[in-house]
Amino acid sequence: MRYLLPLLLASPALAEGPAVPNFVAEPGGIAHEFTGEWEFMVGGGVAAFDCSGDDLPDIFLSGGTAPSALYRNLSGAALSFAKAEDSGLEMDMVSGAYPLDIDADGITDLAVLRVGESRLMRGLGDCKFEDASATWGFQPHDLWTTAFAATWEKGADWPTLAFGSYIDRTEDLFPWGSCTENLLYRGRKGQFDAPLPLKPSFCPLSMLFTDWNRSGTPALRVSNDREYYKGGQEQMWHVAPAEPPRLYTPDEGWARLRIWGMGIASNDLNGDGFPEYVLTSMADTKLQTLAEPGPETKPRYADVALAKGATAHRPYIGEELKPSTGWHAQFADVNNDGYADLFLAKGNVSEMPDFAMKDPNNLLLQRPDGTFEEAGDRAGVASTLTGRGAALADLNGDGWLDLVVVNRNGPTEVWRNGGTDTAANWVALVPLMEGQPNRNAANAWVELRAGDRVQRQEVLIGGGHASGMLVPVHFGLGGADAAEARVIWPDGTEGAWVPVEVNETTGLAK
Amino acid sequence: MEPLSLTLPRRKFLLLTAAGLALPLRAAAATAISPEAVISSWYRLVLELVRHTATYSPPVASRAFGYLGVTTWETVAQCNGLQSLAGQLNDLTPPPVSDQPLDTAAVLHGALTAAVGKLFENTGPTGQRALQAMVEKLGAKVADGLDPALAKASLDQGAAIAGHILAWAATDGGAVVENMGFPQTYALTEGPAHWVPTSPIRMQQLPLLPDWGKNRPFAMKGDLPCGLPPPPDYSEDPASSFYSEAKEVYDTGKSLTDEQKAIARFWSDDPMLSPTPPGHWISIFLQIAERDGLMAPQLADGLARVGIAVADGFIACWRVKFEYDLLRPVTYIRRFIDPKWDPLLITPPFPEYPSGHSTQSAAAAAVLTAIFGPDFAFEDATPVADGLPARSFPSFDAAAEEAALSRLYGGIHYRAAIDRGLEQGACVGAFAAGLKTL
Repeated sequence: MRYLLPLLLASPALAEGPAVPNFVAEPGGIAHEFTGEWEFMVGGGVAAFDCSGDDLPDIFLSGGTAPSALYRNLSGAALSFAKAEDSGLEMDMVSGAYPLDIDADGITDLAVLRVGESRLMRGLGDCKFEDASATWGFQPHDLWTTAFAATWEKGADWPTLAFGSYIDRTEDLFPWGSCTENLLYRGRKGQFDAPLPLKPSFCPLSMLFTDWNRSGTPALRVSNDREYYKGGQEQMWHVAPAEPPRLYTPDEGWARLRIWGMGIASNDLNGDGFPEYVLTSMADTKLQTLAEPGPETKPRYADVALAKGATAHRPYIGEELKPSTGWHAQFADVNNDGYADLFLAKGNVSEMPDFAMKDPNNLLLQRPDGTFEEAGDRAGVASTLTGRGAALADLNGDGWLDLVVVNRNGPTEVWRNGGTDTAANWVALVPLMEGQPNRNAANAWVELRAGDRVQRQEVLIGGGHASGMLVPVHFGLGGADAAEARVIWPDGTEGAWVPVEVNETTGLAK
Repeated sequence: MEPLSLTLPRRKFLLLTAAGLALPLRAAAATAISPEAVISSWYRLVLELVRHTATYSPPVASRAFGYLGVTTWETVAQCNGLQSLAGQLNDLTPPPVSDQPLDTAAVLHGALTAAVGKLFENTGPTGQRALQAMVEKLGAKVADGLDPALAKASLDQGAAIAGHILAWAATDGGAVVENMGFPQTYALTEGPAHWVPTSPIRMQQLPLLPDWGKNRPFAMKGDLPCGLPPPPDYSEDPASSFYSEAKEVYDTGKSLTDEQKAIARFWSDDPMLSPTPPGHWISIFLQIAERDGLMAPQLADGLARVGIAVADGFIACWRVKFEYDLLRPVTYIRRFIDPKWDPLLITPPFPEYPSGHSTQSAAAAAVLTAIFGPDFAFEDATPVADGLPARSFPSFDAAAEEAALSRLYGGIHYRAAIDRGLEQGACVGAFAAGLKTL
């Protein structure tokens, strides 16, 4: 429990900009590399979730050509990890991973993305896992899998999984235009059906089931790498129960956008109830907000990255002025001031001389007016290794979000967030639908009200770059010392506002 | 210009090729692959690399096509005893010669390996992988059945020719492109008539390649060749010519037919999403070459002339763009006609007048008309892989005019930029058409 200090709204620190957290490099025993050449120029995911039952996130790291690894979290005040032996998660050709409770048994499972056949690993407890792909009727294809998202469709007793795949890796001379199929797996009664192809497929590097229009039925956003598709663009699919997936069309308002799509993250930044989306790319980052939000809104987005100072288009330290390359994106309130910040992992694809080789990660702190301020260097996370996947999560339970970044052909980096000079409170919330298939309430909206300001986050399984988390939903409160929370559950039921303890993790059960 | 030698009627042209006019003069042996196949294989890859190399905006792409075309021509010319472009192109000296017997296909493979490798040295890991696969797989075919000493001598000679062309290329002013062509600093011209950024992309807040017009041209001669008169006087008066031109863009955009949309998309040729406008015209020539079975000298001649024409087209066009520095339709229309107007196509990040696609399309059409004749019908399937249907044209001029008009439909150019661009392209193309080769 942290002690509260008086709110200093007019303090010099706030007048000068957001408080900058002090990240301290603290590997805590994690010694791991994501390695490989062409087939691992993308990927490099990390998964953060509790597999040991101590409420601290354990860390799974993809390895590419090296074995993947699970690290048990032993942190106290300092970060500390121990490599799990014989966890069942040690495998090769892993590009990323996303935790989720597929069978709703209360033990988190793991979707493991591979160059080859992906796997569904069932959690057995005490950080042990078994390959349940066959048991659950999951029929993986031999693909270069690069993206994943999951949801529970209305009325379904089994999750719906989307796997995105990249290039036909047998094409060496002319791989362009050879994007392989994305696959949608639905199931019932503990078994997945044969997958449905999501045609056309355009080489995604990130996918996200998200209730973009607050209709109660999440759609599947897909961010595609224009380097490899022909005739492609960014996509969004209608995924309605018992209906074939169907693309959003221009007639519905979907506007064509073609980028080097590499990562997606979302957050309701402007408080209008609808999520904004950040899309990482090369040389520029997109920050999308609905052009006309409202009950009948269409999926037409304005790019406000330039206006908000979130383009993150080139290195902000060092001598290089070449364009930047963005991968994992994640919104999280790293300074607990009540405004979601944006972390972007950066790194050259593979010695591309037109792009920065020493490309620092970005930590864009959000100001109260909705603009962003770069603080990666001041916060201590401006690593110029070749970043790919990442996770911002409270690894030691102190209320400050820590950071893990997987680098390609370089050491995985871990930073403990030592907090800011400005006192700030926080709340962590765990929505739970015990006894129901969607136990962890994917696509629920968790709202926190302090004073007259409401923050909200959608519970998501997917997005980022090959990296997923199943951890409490974290909100910063700034100096506020009281707050209420509620959950709008995936079926649309609005939970009642309930007071929650600040600087504590609180469960919200349906 | 030598119209008799260049403006061959199609029937006569094909007769010449079938008669074997282009038999290698100094070939010592035949490889398992023809010189034509070597050229077309490399160019197929180049059309992909142009699309997938981040610096390859249309002007940069045109430059590469210019130097690749010259490399291809000089190689074929040397192997066949044909006229070199040395002395005809600005500052180009004769490439080195070999006194050994050579195999044309192997020399071409050596030349294009070196030239493509250098011009696309900045391409990404997938492009590098494809380059290596092309070198190895095509190299194996080239070497199949060839005496190893002859193969090596031929490959070395190809590399020597390419090295000579690349050394010449290094001095033209366009060899180094940084920050994807966007300057780190640049003072925008003040005043309402002038270009302002139109894109929310951060690096596009300054215009693309403002000094490109200072590059050394390939074939254009003289001081500031192919200049243009100024665009209509800038005015905000609804009765003015300038307003009328903006209104035409707006009204056209508001009432686009399906055919007009199809034309705009067909010629959109966006960088990083297509072979770019110059690549589109190289693709047109390659489709005709394949259809009609052109022999290596004709194939190399066409690639050189089209490459030179589009490269010079972008140099001439860019010089005028930054001379007048005119604002784009989207800027004017949103200021004075409709603040919510959006064009169909993405507005390119540089000044408006004249239209680059118009200039370079007319330049390419001029040389292709000189080669094949004025009423040469063809089908163009360049964007078919991107899901667009092929289009047919009765002549190269018709295709160039449609490409130019596509920019009006796309909402990114006024009429004057299109019309004057076509005129500028005809001027530029005449220089390339006048080169002595076959």
